[in-house]
Amino acid sequence: MKVKILRQLSPDSSPYWEIFEYDGPLDNSVAGVLDYINYHDDISDVEGNATTRIGWECSCLQGMCGACAMVVNGKPVLACETFVRDFHGKDIEIRPLRKFPVVHDLMVDRSSIHENLKAANICIGEYRPSEDTDFEHQYTAAKCLKCGLCLEVCPNYVNGRSFYGAAFANDCYLVASRNQSKSRMIGEIYGRAFGRDCSKSLSCMDVCPVKIPTLSSIARLNRLK
Amino acid sequence: MRNVLIIGSGISGMACAVRCAEHGIHVTLVSPFSSERSQSVMAAGGINAVLPELENGDSVACHIEDTLKGGACLGGRRAVTGLCEHGEEILRYLESIGTVFSVDKEGHPLRRAFGGQSHKRTYYCGASTGKQIVSALVMEARRYEAQGVIRRKLRSSFYSALIRDGVCYGAMLYDEAGGNIEAVYADALVVATGGQNALFGKTTGSTLCDGYVAGKLFMQGAELKNLEFIQYHPTALETAQKRILISEAGRGEGGRLFIDRNGERFYFMEDKYGPNGNLMTRDVISREIDALGGSAFLDISFLGKKLIDGRLPEIRDICSKYAGIDVNREPIPVQPSVHFFMGGLAVHLDHETNIRNLFAVGECASMYHGANRLGGNSLLAAVYSGRVAADTLAERNRTDSERPDFSRELESESAKLVRSSETESRFPVMYIRDMLAETMQKQLGIVRCKENLMQGLHDIDYYLSIAEHLNFDSSVMPYYNYSLTGILTLARATVKCALFRKESRGAHYRSDHPERDEKYRAATIISYDDGNFCLRLDEGGAYES
Ligand SMILES: Cc1cc2nc3c(=O)[nH]c(=O)nc-3n(C[C@H](O)[C@H](O)[C@H](O)COP(=O)(O)OP(=O)(O)OC[C@H]3O[C@@H](n4cnc5c(N)ncnc54)[C@H](O)[C@@H]3O)c2cc1C
Ligand code: FES
Repeated sequence: MKVKILRQLSPDSSPYWEIFEYDGPLDNSVAGVLDYINYHDDISDVEGNATTRIGWECSCLQGMCGACAMVVNGKPVLACETFVRDFHGKDIEIRPLRKFPVVHDLMVDRSSIHENLKAANICIGEYRPSEDTDFEHQYTAAKCLKCGLCLEVCPNYVNGRSFYGAAFANDCYLVASRNQSKSRMIGEIYGRAFGRDCSKSLSCMDVCPVKIPTLSSIARLNRLK
Repeated sequence: MRNVLIIGSGISGMACAVRCAEHGIHVTLVSPFSSERSQSVMAAGGINAVLPELENGDSVACHIEDTLKGGACLGGRRAVTGLCEHGEEILRYLESIGTVFSVDKEGHPLRRAFGGQSHKRTYYCGASTGKQIVSALVMEARRYEAQGVIRRKLRSSFYSALIRDGVCYGAMLYDEAGGNIEAVYADALVVATGGQNALFGKTTGSTLCDGYVAGKLFMQGAELKNLEFIQYHPTALETAQKRILISEAGRGEGGRLFIDRNGERFYFMEDKYGPNGNLMTRDVISREIDALGGSAFLDISFLGKKLIDGRLPEIRDICSKYAGIDVNREPIPVQPSVHFFMGGLAVHLDHETNIRNLFAVGECASMYHGANRLGGNSLLAAVYSGRVAADTLAERNRTDSERPDFSRELESESAKLVRSSETESRFPVMYIRDMLAETMQKQLGIVRCKENLMQGLHDIDYYLSIAEHLNFDSSVMPYYNYSLTGILTLARATVKCALFRKESRGAHYRSDHPERDEKYRAATIISYDDGNFCLRLDEGGAYES
């Protein structure tokens, strides 16, 4: 099986494709494939030319931390929970997330997610939950991995300069539901940085690894206005 | 104190940062990646505390006794009392910053039973307690970031501490974006870098926890404690890259452990310990599985689909995703895995190390858990220790003496890194990490003996001698190159501690010394003196009392 990877050695160098032969176990995840190519033997491309090891990010290796988000065969996924067996022998194409600056190969700089939340001051402050607190939805929303998959797939999210995307909306919901006195402030900022421009394609919900029903957050936030 | 440098942004690092910020102390919070990537997000089971709506018969005193007993009498009573007495305050605090605990219809937090505890006192957030706490702390830290009190520094890793004459003045950090080492001065340095997984390769935890910081600080004069106590979790699912924890809940709900004996199921825990055998403590089950060849099966299929879907969905999903196993029909192949490190940097009750103004919190510090940790106590300790360190810093005045000049050290370390990176190794540095992991898994397993440990020491010495002459491996981040010696040194210290303790206690089991020996009823302390490893027992309780 061939594995085609879009590589980029540093933030300011040019990207290029490199193809590898993969003859490892078929029950491996894509994260396992990257490890196998990197460390099974000396690393060389499909034509036998020596090359450098592939850069990628991981931590938990079980879909809990969001580190290994990338685009595999056109779909934004977590590499550690995407399996070779599901490609049924087809070749695999891997590229970094496109909506973030590349750091090295498949590693990208996702700090804009946090920076936007910080700039908008999305934090609870004082804990004053509303009477009809929906613990279940709060619980799911707080599971957001900040992996960036929802932003990658979103037709409205470009680079996070004006439209901040689903990850932002869900944190807005969390604050509004935990501190009623912030409802107004949150309603305003949410409208400006998300509500106004979201075209409701809801593709964010299809790719979310922890299955956050962002539509519920949106519905609740729209009621704040 | 006015400014503090914190290395590590998991639960303990963030708890410390936020508490410092509440005291008006400026914080620089360093980690290579964001808090969402820290191992803390993986904690599932829960956090211990005794709340007023306690289980009949429970009390803070019971929590203290359970913790001391679980730790096989090596935890300090004063330290453990402080931890347990603050359980309620910490739970209320976590709630107040928005941690979404699982609650009953009246909104009271729910609790579950956890191994080794006399009462149900483990509060939880579904199956993602750690993640929910991280999300709440990230938001709270963000509040102070927006005010400029906390400054996060990402893509940055610890290089070494700035220490002169037993006092710490900050740290040298490797800045990945700039590709250079920089000195960051601070009134105090707090390390919150988690456990030491990389020593063992595949564990239940995160690849980001490698023990380098503890190893490097040890080489710089910080003392380490109780390194031989490593908790194995008995039930992990082996995959190509890691061992995935199969939670205790599986056994708590009635799951049964067995091995295959000539085509027949042998329920070894029930056979030896009676009907509740599957609920024995982690170390006992791990040792039984080890004695039977190292692997076993966990059967939950007979519990029925309804119970599995309702109460054990995570186990169901992990098995189906990572092993293609339908737990409704098949047993789960399990094996013990390294899970938690009771040992680490030796700290006093206020979490300061033997080096002034150098603190350690969370899993990288050795405190409270003695020779074995109770499930649910480490999340409590992560938050508590962070807050204790911050409160100490708030009360302490800055060192009056003028800050020494470290520019020469910075220059020489920078030049060393540049020189090294100009060489090129064909041998991947990761292979040495792999070899170390193989050695540690084999020679420092669940059951140890002098012979194995001596072999382990011999192997590690060999890897250290290679590391000294190894050229630069440019195919990985410089961090993996410069961290190697620190990691190997920590591994060596760990084996040394295991050799030193000639008894069996808690998670440390020696087949050549299978009994507990009261002579060793004190923490092991190891220090580094110009290449020599010096061991002693902390008999007076100088660190933890
Ligand atoms: C699968 C699993 C389940 C668990 N379940 C429970 C549970 O139910 N209850 C419980 O009480 N405990 C549980 N634990 C244990 C608990 O999660 C940890 O002890 C705790 O989260 C440790 O937190 P920490 O802040 O000390 O470290 P971590 O969360 O590991 O954070 C370490 C930080 O240090 C950074 N770092 C590491 N090295 C460097 C370096 N060189 N330079 C800069 N930064 C660095 C990392 O990037 C990270 O930010 C579990 C552990 C695992 C693995
Ligand atoms: S490594 Fe954590 S989600 Fe893949």
